[in-house]
Amino acid sequence: MARIACFVEKYNFADQREAVALQNFQHAAEKMGHEFGFLFRKDISQIPKYDAVFIRATTDPLYTAYVVSKTAWELGLKVVDDPESIQICGNKIHLYDLFKRHNVPGIPTLFMNKEELHHKRLLEVFETLGKPIVVKAPYTSFSRYVEKVACETSFRDVARRYFRKSDVLAVQSFMPTAFDWRVGVLNRQVLYVCKYMMPKGRWKHGAKRRGKPTFVWGRTVALKTENAPAALKDVALKACEVIGHGLYGVDIKQVNGSYVVVEVNDNPSIYAGYEDSRNKDLYGKIIQYLVD
Amino acid sequence: MLVVSNISPIRNLHVMRPTEFLNSAIKDFTLNLNNDYRYLKAGYYVSMHAEVLGNPVIPSTENIIAASRTPILLLKASKAGIPTLAHLVTSSVKQIISEFDFPVVVFAVNPFQYDGFKIARNRSSLYRAFKSLSMNYKFAVCAQPLKGEMVSVKSIFGKCEDDEPVVRLSEKVYEVFKIPICKLHVQRVEGEVYLCGLQPLRLEEIFPSDLETVSTVISRMSSKGEHLVG
Repeated sequence: MARIACFVEKYNFADQREAVALQNFQHAAEKMGHEFGFLFRKDISQIPKYDAVFIRATTDPLYTAYVVSKTAWELGLKVVDDPESIQICGNKIHLYDLFKRHNVPGIPTLFMNKEELHHKRLLEVFETLGKPIVVKAPYTSFSRYVEKVACETSFRDVARRYFRKSDVLAVQSFMPTAFDWRVGVLNRQVLYVCKYMMPKGRWKHGAKRRGKPTFVWGRTVALKTENAPAALKDVALKACEVIGHGLYGVDIKQVNGSYVVVEVNDNPSIYAGYEDSRNKDLYGKIIQYLVD
Repeated sequence: MLVVSNISPIRNLHVMRPTEFLNSAIKDFTLNLNNDYRYLKAGYYVSMHAEVLGNPVIPSTENIIAASRTPILLLKASKAGIPTLAHLVTSSVKQIISEFDFPVVVFAVNPFQYDGFKIARNRSSLYRAFKSLSMNYKFAVCAQPLKGEMVSVKSIFGKCEDDEPVVRLSEKVYEVFKIPICKLHVQRVEGEVYLCGLQPLRLEEIFPSDLETVSTVISRMSSKGEHLVG
């Protein structure tokens, strides 16, 4: 019997579908004869009492979740997401730089640092990538900090905001599609496949409502993994190969019949009735990986 | 050896600017000299790019992140035999009060604050420090008991100007984390010193004498090939 800690924050229970998914993890673990407890920020000192840590709170090297992951790792515990995966996936510059070195098929991407924010360079960028382009902060997640720009003025406006936090940002070609594939990968095996549809008239899965703080999200359509295209699964596994053995959500676009990786996310969303609707066994598989 | 630095000029040394290196694909041992290695800053990206290229690099991105997150710094340091005091990562003031007696030293563990610490000598000052460092109770903080006096020293390749115990501690911290330029926060308690925190230096805090130290250390590294085992 193993003791599994699931690191969560209050917001993980705000959405009913996520709260149910967390309960599903708990039931799966208990059914397999393991202890499963939720670990909050105030309980971090309890980490050594567990055998494995499963992180569900948002990860980023600057967030508490990274401290939890690294602490568990240093103590020799099995941890998902491991600190190296958080470090790579949490920074899109790191991720795209690795993709370039390992020839992972991706969207044409340029990096830009603060000193390059001048007219000549911006002209080069538009000439290389066309118009409009997508400006991405390295710490983007849940469709935030990604904006589409079509002129120098709006580029400067977005870049200045993102440069406040990071000295480098990514600029990509704009590739509109009706949906993004999301392939869940665990330990270099496909765990689930689904389509993240774009809301009507939008180009991202999650888009802010104009003038409101709320987001509108597209539908999630799950597929049985065996019914997903083999080439899609191959591209997803190739992208994860350069990162590690953990749990990832690979976003892929299908453009002119070929698959290009948008990004690989550690700590992928798992909502009851969404990612799991065609692959109910994903909870058990993740728990099994944690205790192996 | 390739030296990438935002600090210039350094005597007898050809250095590459971070921007230039980030646009290159040079394969060589990389020494990344920067006053600020914080995550998402140019100093971090230089080490990251070197690692992606497969270059051995000082400092590594793993060490950069570990050193700038106080709880991880203390955990790794104590594993390596560097003296540290008990610490608590928490988002509860009550937990700090129940674990430690006053005074306590509080460090931020959030994405926005990286410099300094606050000393709380009573309950109300702890609440004030906590509110400020947790950014209005949004993030956790790292608390340690204050048993002696806090000292902050500049460490250049592990060398610093202070008494023997602090110098030894600074050398040991460099051995473990390999952060060439930083400021260390240590606690001096009855002749013993304990590591409490590490933070970047501002450019204006680097004096000509520090650049001399940098130049000397790099010359030695180049001539002895020390970097090969870095």
